[in-house]
Amino acid sequence: MPHITFAAAIQRHIVCPEREVVAPTVGAALEAVFALQPELRGYLLDDQGQLRRHMAIFVDGHAIRDRQRLGDHVAPDSRIYVVQALSGG
Amino acid sequence: MTELSDQALLRYSRHILLPELDIAGQQALLGARALIVGAGGLGSPVALYLASAGVGQLTIADDDVVELTNLQRQIAHDKASLGRNKAESAAARMLAMNPEVAVRVIGERLAGQSLADEVARHDVVLDCSDNFATRHAVNRACVAAGVPLVSGAAVRFDGQLAVFDTRQPASPCYHCLFPEEGEANDGPCATFGVLAPLVGVIGSLQAVEAIKLLAGIPVALGRLTLYDALESSFRSMKVPRDPACPVCSGRSSGSE
Ligand SMILES: [Zn+2]
Repeated sequence: MPHITFAAAIQRHIVCPEREVVAPTVGAALEAVFALQPELRGYLLDDQGQLRRHMAIFVDGHAIRDRQRLGDHVAPDSRIYVVQALSGG
Repeated sequence: MTELSDQALLRYSRHILLPELDIAGQQALLGARALIVGAGGLGSPVALYLASAGVGQLTIADDDVVELTNLQRQIAHDKASLGRNKAESAAARMLAMNPEVAVRVIGERLAGQSLADEVARHDVVLDCSDNFATRHAVNRACVAAGVPLVSGAAVRFDGQLAVFDTRQPASPCYHCLFPEEGEANDGPCATFGVLAPLVGVIGSLQAVEAIKLLAGIPVALGRLTLYDALESSFRSMKVPRDPACPVCSGRSSGSE
């Protein structure tokens, strides 16, 4: 099953453990997590369901291309990693 | 290129011993110009390492003054610097370490035309700032001028590093990775805290990448490195160009 992990910077705001999800796309994988943790949706996605601009999602180490509809394909053994931009210096 | 003096050969001997650098690489460093935006947590190790490594012309910009809370991690400053401009304080330390390099201080916040002008007259820019507005402004200026950008960020136990060089056709820019100014903030160090050596880790990585760029050593582009100090882990992610990026999609890629 695809595996989804949230970077530590996101964990500081909302605790979201690593999960196994059944999903063919990034969007479906996130929906599977939102079903368990609805509070995460507004943190990751805007009102239109697009990925928020300070977020990035990587599937098997590659940034997703479809930030609007999150249609990037996820393989059964994929690893999804959700990251938030940091600004501190 | 100018011949290295005996003193310089001695000072930089541990660089010259590296076949990837050699005398030619060190001469390239001595002839190079780097702009350091921010003289805080990241800017401290960046400034000290670039000065000690012999990057010939260094410009360091910061409009902030040194406060006691900075001294926990901003190692270019010390107790005697309290109340002093950060860029000025860092410059003094850089020159004490290596008077052979030229250090120029900009004691104000670079923005608009002054930012564009400064970026254009350097060979590499190191983003050591602490806010998204500056990060995006620095990125725009670097793309416009075709100057490579070494971006670092750190807060709490987390760090990020990326090198952008939009002279290379395949390289994304910062905006390709994070499309606009972040709506939500990861928060300044004053709110969330930051582990002292975390900024040393990320700032040192920035200095490594800048030296490679300046010495002509190949640098991995289109990559975001993530460091998690609690997990003691590094992750490397690939970042493609965004063909619709409003900042870099119109560039004349590969012209150099
Ligand atoms: Zn771009």
